[in-house]
Amino acid sequence: MKSFSDYRKYMTILKLDEAEIQSRRAFFTLTDEDLQRLASLRPFAEKVTEEVVEQFYSLLLAHPETRKFFEDDATIRRVKRTQREYFLGLFAGKCDREYVEDRLRVGAAHERIGLAPKWYLGAYRQYLHLILNALQAELKDEERVRAAFQSIQRIVFFDVSLAIDTYIAANAEALVRHQQAIRELSTPVIRVYDRILLLPLVGAIDSIRAEQIMESVLLHVVEAQAKCIIIDIAGVPVVDTRVADHLLKTTAAVRLLGAQTILTGITAQVARTMVQLGVDVSTMHTLSRLSDGIELALGMVGKAITTAAPPAPASPSAVTPPVVGGTS
Amino acid sequence: MIEEILATHELKLVTEDDVMAVRRRVREIAEMRKFDTFAIAAITTATSELARNVVVHGRGGTAKIEEISDGLRAGIRVVFTDEGPGIPDIARVMSGGYSTARSMGLGLSGSKRLVDDFDLESQVGVGTRVTVTKWKRF
Amino acid sequence: MIRGQIPILRIGTTLLATIHIELRDAVAEAFQADVLTTIEKDGAAGLLIDISGLDIVDSYVARIIAETGRMAKLMGTTTVLVGMRPEVAATLIRMGYSMEGVLTALNVDDGLELLGHIVPKQRGA
Repeated sequence: MKSFSDYRKYMTILKLDEAEIQSRRAFFTLTDEDLQRLASLRPFAEKVTEEVVEQFYSLLLAHPETRKFFEDDATIRRVKRTQREYFLGLFAGKCDREYVEDRLRVGAAHERIGLAPKWYLGAYRQYLHLILNALQAELKDEERVRAAFQSIQRIVFFDVSLAIDTYIAANAEALVRHQQAIRELSTPVIRVYDRILLLPLVGAIDSIRAEQIMESVLLHVVEAQAKCIIIDIAGVPVVDTRVADHLLKTTAAVRLLGAQTILTGITAQVARTMVQLGVDVSTMHTLSRLSDGIELALGMVGKAITTAAPPAPASPSAVTPPVVGGTS
Repeated sequence: MIEEILATHELKLVTEDDVMAVRRRVREIAEMRKFDTFAIAAITTATSELARNVVVHGRGGTAKIEEISDGLRAGIRVVFTDEGPGIPDIARVMSGGYSTARSMGLGLSGSKRLVDDFDLESQVGVGTRVTVTKWKRF
Repeated sequence: MIRGQIPILRIGTTLLATIHIELRDAVAEAFQADVLTTIEKDGAAGLLIDISGLDIVDSYVARIIAETGRMAKLMGTTTVLVGMRPEVAATLIRMGYSMEGVLTALNVDDGLELLGHIVPKQRGA
């Protein structure tokens, strides 16, 4: 269950202060006279709520695409109750901050359940049609129906504008969250040994990602107090001048911290490109194989990989992998 | 999206103390708006460079700090204005290869690389105005 | 000039200067003078400048540090810059300031270790 403040934050995001509400009302020509007329229709609204809401939901449940949003009877009962409150709210005769706040719930709730604006707008058209029918049956007089319906249209379109804006704001927020998730996934820094880090890069590197890589590398180096970081670019499809330049900058920044960078995964193709493009990577340690990079890095922290003595053939349990140990 | 100014702070830039005050103010705003540490360092450093230029080369002036928003992101814009001698060869200064004025070249070209938008207007004998904008990242 | 605002400690033959306050012009000049006078008076094989307390290093401060290192070098003292913060490193590189020629280390311990490797070689030991 989402809390009340969940949709109230859109008041701030959409800057729905008194001035903004007045400006919207002016544009939708939603006058005080309209609000008074709506308030005077309140008895009518109370009389027809049940009928309008019931008809509305039978339309929504008849359509396969909109039926999907109502899984069970409990949900249907709940939304019908909300809908009755919403309907009566149109005839409250007010359009203040509290009203607007209440209306923001609609867009936020729809975005959350993944109801696309087309269904919302389509359903609203049917809703208006039902209201018009009810008005005609109740008021009889054509002129009064016209005036009443015009006021209803104004407040409804005012509501729709709020709902759509909330949709957009909620979407934008989701985009921000995805960006953050991608950023975290795109620079997976691994601690391979005490004070040695490894960053295997996979996928294309554009300038935005390159910045993220540099920042992530610097943060990790300081956090781990790593003497050395190995950046493996075997998974980077294109290494052109720009990518090389970014890598050089990262290396230079790592050096300022007091650590070193080893670039591994340099394929024959990448070596050829770099030389042909005239990229000077002489300030970097570069290697083809990651395993060589790890050996070099271990050397920097005063360690080395040695091969253990071959195991005695009689005892298979004595098989030992290469061990990491001190050089001296 | 439509850009909006949420708040404006106007500070004078005459002494070295003013340089420190402006850059402290910019840092406070960036921290309050929850910029990440890299963005905070970038806009604070650019401010330091440009404020120092105003004091050292522009014979003093002002810094106008604007807290802005484009509806989605918060931003900081700082406008540095002086009525100093102006810059005769902007292209040369921006290439970073200006040596007659101490650190000026690196200050301007370096600041440009730290911000999202950079605008430099200068007229010899009239003055210089540098406008920088940094947006909060997603 | 305001001398003595930046403490300079001696660890054996090495000097350790910790910059923990904003380097204003007067402070920067005093710092430079303090370092050089100390070297002149008592000698030093190495100089560690710890900037882990600085959240901003602009081109002015970077130049002061690089200059101090070069001046110390002329007097036979090797300088190592230690403890630079990630955001400071990124900012300097983006500005195009890679501080080539300045030795660096992650922390004071690493700095001392680095001096231990370099200094004997330079002094022909």
